[in-house]
Amino acid sequence: MQRIPLTPREDWQQKVESAGLTFHTLENGDPYWDESAAYQFTATEIDTLEAAGKTLQQMCLAAAQHIIDEKRYAELDIPAEAIPAIEWAWNNEPPALYGRFDLSWAGAESGHAPKLLEYNADTPTSLLEAAVIQWRWLEEVGSHLPTHTSSRPEAGGRSGETPVSSSSAKPDQFNSIHEKLIAKWKDIDPFLSKPIYFAALDNPEDQLTVTYLRDTAEQAGLPTLQMYMEEIGWNDEQQAFLDPNEDHMFSIFKLYPWEAMLQEEFGPHAIDTYQSTRWIEPIWKMLLSNKGILPILWQLYPNHELLLPSFFEQPGAPCQAASSLTWGDSTPPNNLTSYVRKPLMSREGANITLVRDGVTIATTTGPYNGPQIDQALAPEAVFNERYPILGLWMIDQDCCGLGIRESSGPITDNLSSFVPHYFR
Amino acid sequence: MKRSTQVAAPLLAAAALALTTGCRKPEMQRCVDENNRVVADKFCASQPNQPQQRPDGHGGFIFIPMLYHYYYGGWGGFGLGSAVGGGSLTPNPARSYINSSGRTLRGGFGRSFSEGGSHFSGHAGGAGE
Repeated sequence: MQRIPLTPREDWQQKVESAGLTFHTLENGDPYWDESAAYQFTATEIDTLEAAGKTLQQMCLAAAQHIIDEKRYAELDIPAEAIPAIEWAWNNEPPALYGRFDLSWAGAESGHAPKLLEYNADTPTSLLEAAVIQWRWLEEVGSHLPTHTSSRPEAGGRSGETPVSSSSAKPDQFNSIHEKLIAKWKDIDPFLSKPIYFAALDNPEDQLTVTYLRDTAEQAGLPTLQMYMEEIGWNDEQQAFLDPNEDHMFSIFKLYPWEAMLQEEFGPHAIDTYQSTRWIEPIWKMLLSNKGILPILWQLYPNHELLLPSFFEQPGAPCQAASSLTWGDSTPPNNLTSYVRKPLMSREGANITLVRDGVTIATTTGPYNGPQIDQALAPEAVFNERYPILGLWMIDQDCCGLGIRESSGPITDNLSSFVPHYFR
Repeated sequence: MKRSTQVAAPLLAAAALALTTGCRKPEMQRCVDENNRVVADKFCASQPNQPQQRPDGHGGFIFIPMLYHYYYGGWGGFGLGSAVGGGSLTPNPARSYINSSGRTLRGGFGRSFSEGGSHFSGHAGGAGE
C-alpha cells in the first residue's frame, strides 16, 4: 500500500461534475475529490481487504443475533418501542442493500491486519465517489499511472526509488459496486412493491447518492421515484405513508438514520406500520451502525486480528485512564491508555476524544451526547502526513469495493477528502 | 469479480446537471399562529387575506390582529404544534410552495438535520456518513 502523488487532470472539476459529483470541492476551497494522489495496492493486499470485509460481515451478523438473543438493546441505547420491529425484521429478513466498513490499515508491510473502526450499516455515503467517479478516473488515467516498486516511499521507507512508467501490468481497481448493486436490486425485486421511493434530505451529497442508487435500481428494471424526506406524508385515516401525489408508499429507500427517524414525529408510525412497509435499510441495521457493536464484537471475538479492543464506557470513568492496554493486548477492560472515545450514535467524526498515553491529543465538538465507547487506537497508518480510512463496501453479504477517505489529522471528519485507488 | 465492466449512471449525471443549473425544490407553506406554531390549514383558509379593522366608536378604527397566517419556506415541518422559522410571511414569486394537503401531514421526517433540529449533523448538512 503506497500513496502515489499525481498531477490532477487539468479539467478534473468539469469531468467529475459531468459524471455526477457536484460536491467536489469543500467550503474551504480544498478539493473533496482529491486526485493529486492515489493509493496503490498489491493484488494480495486487495485479497486481504476483501477477505476482511467478508469475515467482519459474518462476525457482525453473529453479533446482531447475540444482541437479540441476550436482549442487550439498552446497552446500545435502542428505544424499547423499536425492539419488536427490530426483532420482526431480523427474523423475517426484509430486503437489505448495502453498508460500509471503515478500517484502518497501512498495508501488508505494516505487519498488522486491517482493523475495524466502525460499520456504517444504515446510511453510508461516498458511494458514487467509490462506484462511479474513481472508476471513470481509472479508465482515463490508468494507462499513465506510475508504478512504484518501493513500499511507502513517502513514509520514509526504502527511499530513493523513483517511480517508473507504467509496467505491462494494467492497473485495476477493487470496484464492482455498480454491478453488484444492480444484481442486488434484481435479487430483492420480488419482495418490493413498486415504485420504490428514494428519500433523502435536500443537499447535493445525499440527493446525488440516492439518485445514483435509483439509477442502479432502474437499470435492474425497477420503477423508482425520488423525493425529500420532508415530503413523506402520513395519513391517519389510511394509516399509511403517502407520497406528494397522495399515493401509498410501500417500498422506501431512505438515506436517513433510524435513530433520527425514531425521534421524529412520524417515528411511531414507522414502527406501527413496519411490517407493511419495506424500509431499506431495515431497522435491524440500527444494531450494526451503533458504535456499541464494537465492544460487543470484542466480547464475542476477543483478540481477533481484525478488531481493536473496545469497551463500553464505565459510568463516571475519566477520559484519561491509567494503565497500559493498547491494541492486541488482552488485559482487562477499562485499562486503555491510548484510545478513541466515541458516542454510540456519533457521526462524521463529531464528539470524538482521542487519547494517547493517557493524554488527550484531539477532541471534536458536535451535537452528540449519551453513552460512549472506548476503542483502542489502531496501529499508525499515516502516509505523507495524511491519515487514510479504508471504506469497504458491502452489497448485502458481498465485499465488492474500496473507497478511501483521507484526513490531515487522526479523526476523519466532514473535511476529509476522497482519494482514488488502484492495484496491480 | 473485482472490477466493473462498465459503469453507466445517466440519472446521476442528469441530476448533477440539474443541481449545477439551479433547479430548486418546492418550499413549505404552513398555516401558523401568532407564536409561529403550525396549525391546521383550515384556520388560514377561513381568514381574510388582509388585516381587518372595525370602528372604535370614537371616529377611528381598531385593527383586528390576524391570529393565523401562512408562513412560507424556512425550517421546521408540517407537524401540528411544531415551531417554524427562517421563512417569510410573504411568498417569493420565484419559488413554488407545497402545503400539507388536507389530512395528510408532511414534514414528520427530516427535522433532526434541519436548521431547527439539534441532535444530528452530517457531512455538508447531510444525513449520510
